[in-house]
Amino acid sequence: MAKPPKGDIESLVRQFDSSDWTELHVKTNDFEVYLSTNPNSSKPGGHKDAAAPVNASVSTSNVGSKAESVDVVKSKTESARSVVPEGMVGVTAPNLGTFYSSPKPGAAPYVSVGDRVTADTEVCLIEVMKLFTPVRSGIDGVIKEICVADAEMIEYQQLLVIIDPA
Amino acid sequence: MIKRVLIANRGEIAVRISRAAHSLGIEVVQAVSDADRDTMAADLADRVVVIGPASARDSYLNSDLVIHAAKATGCDALHPGYGFLSERAKLAQGCEDEGIIFVGPRAQVIDDLGDKLRARAIAEKAGIPLVPGSGHVRTVSEARVAAEALGLPVVMKASAGGGGRGMFVAREIDAIDEFFDRASNEALEAFGDGTLYLERYIENARHVEVQIAGDGKGNAIHFGERDCSVQRRYQKVVEEAPCVLMSETLRKSLHDAAVKLVSSLSYLNVGTVEFLFDVERDAFYFIEVNTRIQVEHTVTEQITGIDLVQLQFRIAGEEPHSLPSQSAITINRHAIECRLNAEDPFNNFMPSPGVIQHWCAPSGAGVRVDSHCRDGYLVPPYYDSMIGKLVITANDRDSAVQRLSAALEDFKIEGLVTNIPLLRAIVDHKDFRDNSFNTKWLEQSMLPEFEQTQKEE
Repeated sequence: MAKPPKGDIESLVRQFDSSDWTELHVKTNDFEVYLSTNPNSSKPGGHKDAAAPVNASVSTSNVGSKAESVDVVKSKTESARSVVPEGMVGVTAPNLGTFYSSPKPGAAPYVSVGDRVTADTEVCLIEVMKLFTPVRSGIDGVIKEICVADAEMIEYQQLLVIIDPA
Repeated sequence: MIKRVLIANRGEIAVRISRAAHSLGIEVVQAVSDADRDTMAADLADRVVVIGPASARDSYLNSDLVIHAAKATGCDALHPGYGFLSERAKLAQGCEDEGIIFVGPRAQVIDDLGDKLRARAIAEKAGIPLVPGSGHVRTVSEARVAAEALGLPVVMKASAGGGGRGMFVAREIDAIDEFFDRASNEALEAFGDGTLYLERYIENARHVEVQIAGDGKGNAIHFGERDCSVQRRYQKVVEEAPCVLMSETLRKSLHDAAVKLVSSLSYLNVGTVEFLFDVERDAFYFIEVNTRIQVEHTVTEQITGIDLVQLQFRIAGEEPHSLPSQSAITINRHAIECRLNAEDPFNNFMPSPGVIQHWCAPSGAGVRVDSHCRDGYLVPPYYDSMIGKLVITANDRDSAVQRLSAALEDFKIEGLVTNIPLLRAIVDHKDFRDNSFNTKWLEQSMLPEFEQTQKEE
């Protein structure tokens, strides 16, 4: 694996990784660093929904006149087994795919925080190669949190939705 | 050149591919099942994505999942390894459709060569000698007619796949009746297609295969042959390169035949052309083509000095002049590989998953170990039992055998039962040292003797 050309960048990456930030943009005379939890992000941009970074992906590029080589710092992404708060129930992904919060683009989301659901309520869609499969809540209760942003890649067993059973 | 590859495989080959990719400056995204989160391949990768539960069918065997993972992580290439989906045209085609470089042959060629009968027709058209065989046999009576025409003994084979599944040898005509349904059902179960064909069964055969690579434009070269005759249930146990039994003339014909066949298809990337070497008749016959990197690619690397997995990436990445010229390939020395399995050779080869308490592999001159195992690693029960490969290189076969014997003695694996005692017995056996064995030797001669000795102790 390539080592970062500057100890500064490595240190920044480590601190970002262990934080709960979703985005960091640092610009100095010598270099510019953009860190994001969105794996598809490639340039400094607007806000992303602050999703629980269970799938933190970090990439930096050493952009600047001084770069001798484009050394890309790559950081491991591991689908962390998220912690569901005491008394709550988590709905997890049955496989890797892309998470969609609504049945169709532009349509209302399946669920929102505070909605009451039954076990059969569809809470989201997972797409694998254009095959769309709805995910059901599995339990009666109230939506406490939606953990993934629309159109984000999710991994097997990743926490999608947290439900307060009632 | 390729920038980022998704490795859609596991175990030692995932580690192998990852290292080759990194050596070329290619980023690695490792697809893992739930059971492979804590593995060497995951540690080596730049990014890991958990695609599904432990079961292979819901993870490594799901082409939609691996392609989706590749796309979602910005990979421009996908490497299928061996086994799993490596020879499923659906994966190669899916990659092609999604604009992902498949590190391997084109989908159409995988499809053509994947059907063993179609492959035989292609070989016949290219003028390659075939084992005398039949077309599809749909019924027992068709099979009987074909068997009479070929002459007994015959072997019934599945047209849709290999690896020994759906294969039965019939020595008498009535055995056809007995085995036909079993062979067809096994083939249906394994490949989704119960179609069978027959071949004349060669009693005294060596399994000899030629490593090739093509640039997809009609040019192909070979890297010499391998002798993989130590097999149990059609699974290779020990492989070596070159096949010293063959004369220079015959060896050259063999290489030429392999190159002729694959260049006639404008074959892209690496592959292996398999033959049976009929020792008595001093002749070889085409069996099939494996359109992937193989487990035993290592012995060829050792005697040629070529990194075949790197070559796969170079060809797939359309690097100019990636395919070496034939004259640049020199073959010297002898290499032997032993497949290390977590299984009990004293208990019907029962798989032995579990935690490796202590992994102590030999090393040094001419000793190569390809493995994903280490102290504390939990060998999972969900996949095949191969835990590594010991590859020995030396100046000639005798020296290689000596070195291999010593290396096996030094290989300590605690916490699991392994096939090392069997490997040692094979390598120390007179027949192996004399190089006088055939594809039936291990199962029909050596193993019964080995089991008998165990009983007596």
